[in-house]
Amino acid sequence: MLADCYSRDTPLLPAMHQPALLSSLAARRDMASDMLLRGTGLDALALSEGRAAVSPAQLLAMLANLAKQDGQRDVAFELGQQWLPGHYGTISLALLQAPNLAEALSLLITHQDQLCPLLGPRLQVEGKELLLYWTDSVGVGALMPFLVELHMTAVSALCRWLADRPLPWRYCFNRTPPRNLAQHQVHLGSHLQFGCQLDAMVLDSDWLHQPWPRSNPAAYAMLQQQLLRQGRPQYSLVQVLYDHLRAQIGNPPTLEAAATLLATSPATLKRHLAKHGTHFQALLDLVRTHESLRLMQYHGYGQEELAQYFGFHDARNFRRSFKRWTGMAASLPFSLAGAPW
Amino acid sequence: MLHLYRVPLLVFGLALLGLLLLYQGLGELKPRADWQWMDVVGEGGTALMATIWLLQILSSRPRGRVTALLGLGLAGVALGGAADCLDEFFRLQAGANWDNWLESVLGPLGMLTLTAGLYFWRQEQFSLNEQLLKRERLFRDHRAFDRITQLANAEYLQQQVALERAARPQAPCSLILLDIDRFHAINRAYGHGEGDRLLQAISQLLLLNLGNDDLLCRYAGDRFAILLPGTDHAAAGRIASHLRSVVGQLAWHTRQQGIRLHLGARVVSAVMAGDVATQLAALNAELEPAMPLQAQAS
Repeated sequence: MLADCYSRDTPLLPAMHQPALLSSLAARRDMASDMLLRGTGLDALALSEGRAAVSPAQLLAMLANLAKQDGQRDVAFELGQQWLPGHYGTISLALLQAPNLAEALSLLITHQDQLCPLLGPRLQVEGKELLLYWTDSVGVGALMPFLVELHMTAVSALCRWLADRPLPWRYCFNRTPPRNLAQHQVHLGSHLQFGCQLDAMVLDSDWLHQPWPRSNPAAYAMLQQQLLRQGRPQYSLVQVLYDHLRAQIGNPPTLEAAATLLATSPATLKRHLAKHGTHFQALLDLVRTHESLRLMQYHGYGQEELAQYFGFHDARNFRRSFKRWTGMAASLPFSLAGAPW
Repeated sequence: MLHLYRVPLLVFGLALLGLLLLYQGLGELKPRADWQWMDVVGEGGTALMATIWLLQILSSRPRGRVTALLGLGLAGVALGGAADCLDEFFRLQAGANWDNWLESVLGPLGMLTLTAGLYFWRQEQFSLNEQLLKRERLFRDHRAFDRITQLANAEYLQQQVALERAARPQAPCSLILLDIDRFHAINRAYGHGEGDRLLQAISQLLLLNLGNDDLLCRYAGDRFAILLPGTDHAAAGRIASHLRSVVGQLAWHTRQQGIRLHLGARVVSAVMAGDVATQLAALNAELEPAMPLQAQAS
């Protein structure tokens, strides 16, 4: 249902969670609080007393203000170091006690409304490789590269801390390389690839079940119970629709069917999507891009098979569409030299 | 910093006002047709510009002899210009020449004072340069400096490597990267404020252990880069292991708990040749196989 989803205006985040983290970082950088809150409509006093709740759009505006003041271009990485597990109540305590990477990622994905409401993490395990990729949840616009750096640093730093060793992640960025790589090299590592089709972190899937030394299984079980009692987590409308489109990808999906699923009218759904900087066809193209790249790289699908899978009339039609989605030719063999998709 | 100069600025304002009252009291207003607009713009502009320079200087400098001289000089020039400009609006009694005195004393005296101020400023700058020597090496770009450590960043480092190799293509030029062991764990355990203080201390420590020709940069995060012009690979390796042992010797105590941290660092070094970005990427990759078990954070 549409009402179960959060939007960019849902007051989702208590002031003492991510907003407090941003405030303390701004203070350490000698940035005045009215500068940090400019354009958010938030009251500095209410925020510092923990009375306000902050929406994704307001969090986004605060991050944009921080990014604007960032001469050294390191604020995304510095924030990322502190983003997870964070001080977000039960979910942070549960992350701290996660017994391994698989559990930690499962918590991150399930409770993205509390942990990462701006970008949604998606996990894909294909044979020996695991892929964690990030998609826009609320229409983040030009802040996407900044948020990708922040979230990738957050997950890498969390794993390094809890595993008590750095994990050999490889990183793919859906952007051109930045002018200077120093921050990426120090905070993420030197396996960096730019100009990819999606923002993803890749790792051997053996790491998923390596036990982490900090975990206390009894405490973890209790915290999981507590999380269950907190009620069902929310997902953003865009992420819910992405899941629906992916499940229905072969059918092929329509706006009307999606609206019915969300118990709303097509016009209302359109309006909500526009508010999040996207529209039905754009989202469908995104899901088809991700699916075709995955099927090509890991399952050896060719153009004919993909055209059939997506319900295109013929391969030529598919080829043209694929070129439009990705700017690339859909020709096999499809592997970006170790980089996924 | 303008609040430091409230009283001098008030005196300056009163002097301007006094000039106006003096001309108004002792002279009579010329008819509008007699105003020489070219002169008004030229002389008034000098006064206005000198006032702007005065405010810029005062707002950016701490108090002291140099600031006093620069400020007095610019104030003199501004008042001289203002007197010159008021001359255009008021006709004074025939035979009165105090206004000539005012113009020809205030202006030149101001310039003389300003010149003295600039002379001492130059001396002050020499001594500041000496302090900044190992941080900036003969090229200044204030945007490149990190807020916490006051060191230049990676972009500045790349510029410096290029400059150094262009200036002395024959001489070897080495680079060291130094990464603090388990710095992230210190941040997690004692807070990022403690991490910042530690980075400041380590940058001071490294500066004390470098030669006058060397350049220390904060590459990113807890990684430092040291550029060693005229140093070959063997010498750079010796310096690198010395710097590593210096960091290991530091008895750092956390501010809140007073706990002694045992620090360690990893170092790599190379002679710079070929593409700078490629070589930096290779050096960073070389640092990566961390040895986290060797050094514990407390």
